[in-house]
Amino acid sequence: MTGTTAFWYASRATGVVALLLLTAVLVLGILVNRQGRLPGLPRFAVTSLHRNISLLAVAFITVHVLTAVLDTYVSIPLVSGVIPFASGYERLWLGLGAISFDLMLAMIITSLVRGHLNRILWRAIHLLAYLCWPVAFAHSIGSSRDLQHGWLLDLAIGCALVVAAAVLWRLASAARQLPRAARVAAILAQHGPHASRQASDRQAQERISR
Amino acid sequence: MVNDVADQTAALNQPTGLPRLLPLVPGVPEDLRTHLARYGRPPLGDPGRLINAVEQAGLTGRGGAAFPVYRKLAIVARARGRKVIVANGAESEPASGKDGLLLRAAPNLVLDGLQLAAEAIGAGEAYLYLHPGVSPEILRALSQRAAAGLDRVSVTITEAPPRFLAGQESALVNRLGGGPAVPTFTPPRVTEAGLRGAPTLVQNVETLAHVALIARYGPRWFRALGTADEPGTMLTTVHTEHGAQIIEAEIGVPLRTLISQDTDVQAVLIGGFHGAWLPAAALGTLALSNSALNSHQAALGAGVIAALPADRCGLAEAARVVRYLAAESAGQCGPCLNGLPRMAAALAELAGRGHRKQTRADLERWAGLVTGRGACNHPDGTVRFVRSTLTVFAAEIGLHARGHCSATDRTPFLPLPDRMPLTEDDWT
Repeated sequence: MTGTTAFWYASRATGVVALLLLTAVLVLGILVNRQGRLPGLPRFAVTSLHRNISLLAVAFITVHVLTAVLDTYVSIPLVSGVIPFASGYERLWLGLGAISFDLMLAMIITSLVRGHLNRILWRAIHLLAYLCWPVAFAHSIGSSRDLQHGWLLDLAIGCALVVAAAVLWRLASAARQLPRAARVAAILAQHGPHASRQASDRQAQERISR
Repeated sequence: MVNDVADQTAALNQPTGLPRLLPLVPGVPEDLRTHLARYGRPPLGDPGRLINAVEQAGLTGRGGAAFPVYRKLAIVARARGRKVIVANGAESEPASGKDGLLLRAAPNLVLDGLQLAAEAIGAGEAYLYLHPGVSPEILRALSQRAAAGLDRVSVTITEAPPRFLAGQESALVNRLGGGPAVPTFTPPRVTEAGLRGAPTLVQNVETLAHVALIARYGPRWFRALGTADEPGTMLTTVHTEHGAQIIEAEIGVPLRTLISQDTDVQAVLIGGFHGAWLPAAALGTLALSNSALNSHQAALGAGVIAALPADRCGLAEAARVVRYLAAESAGQCGPCLNGLPRMAAALAELAGRGHRKQTRADLERWAGLVTGRGACNHPDGTVRFVRSTLTVFAAEIGLHARGHCSATDRTPFLPLPDRMPLTEDDWT
């Protein structure tokens, strides 16, 4: 294995791992949105996992892009990592990769400064995840012969099925969601014995309503 | 400026001492005639002066956050286009009665302040947001003022739902916009984009009443009472075993002076249900001011002071309050929606007999997890209350763990409403 094939293998490997990580990030994001939980983990840990794995995915994608650029077998300009369709080689498929990377960066940067942003704007940008994953998936299948057959194809199909299932679960969960005003009562009923107030509270209240 | 000419000329007929806001004859509301006889007409027509005077006076918001009033005035004054002003009289704290009393007893002072502040910031729309029970007195005052030609901007009355969070700024703006009174995330702040996108100034009704007096008598007069850092007077709601009383007090007076000497107190709740418990010993040393209370992780808030009688159980009281606070979550943010009911259940367990070993540690862990994670400060305020409960009633927790309770009187002390929100209608 020469130096340049090492880059080629590294790029392939980090690309595959990034696809797995992005799949995990999307599924965890859906769990966070629906306030779901993972077995044995408190709810806030799901949020931390979602955040940390998304940062890890970006690290892998950065290596994935750099090694692809450094590999001299085909010439890929560095800017094509972020500027869509800037590469002569596999213009369409690498362009999709750049688009998905840009979308990821937009989501991560807006999340890092979320405290200073309008919540509706943050949410609108974060919804781009549902565009980002399919674009990244198309880039993976389209630009890699490896993912088009064998066990890597099985892995890719597995990722797609997991994402499809998570999205369907999200839609179903949203459809059966309690109205906002009823949520608190439902959760209170699960905790503690006295779900309804004692009548004696009324006496104390009367002291002040004059 | 403090040495303003207007300030000195006004000195000729300035009132002195207490009360400043409440009626001179306790319990007798002041109608427009008595109001004008006592204070004169509001000095409208000089909008450039007010913000400066309020800054010199050092007036802070009396709704609970104690934010400098001139800064909010200046932010909205600088904005261009359509602007809105709201007098917030929907005191959401069940233990507070001071805004309701002020609106009944001195509605004209509040309405003067609303007009003066509206003029200073250039607001073309004015709202009065309050709980239903107060409306008749206000309506009468508004019609008397209309007949006297006092008001330049017409005032729309909007009623608030009986929710703990209904008076929170963004919840208020949502309600005025026709939606439920639930908080939204900031930014944008309501001073930038509030009611239907317009820059909106929301001030507590007591704050506006002080503004009405500063406009008349100037900042030097305002500073004649209170401390240098926290000038003026404030309305407090004081609960003792003898009942609740609303007292206009000079800021900085010893806390003990507000509570009758013949009461046997074991702890004091300061700042309401988002406030903190202090041990009874603190009563002897602390003053009614945020600078004195901040060193004890407490704040005045909207002026609720509840002296828990020695024969009641502080844990039982705290458990009832946190249960109420959990029920009043708007149900929007996960940490609040899921965390507060757990904390309420854990506190109820501590208030019972023989709790599980890990319950106290769980409670402290959850307190850390919900802090800073909400659109509004409901989780943070609840945590402040819970943490002070664990500290001040530590001995009582030990007693309960062994199956005892020091209380001999089980009557609830702190006032709580008896109905929790169940549907969207309860929020509108």
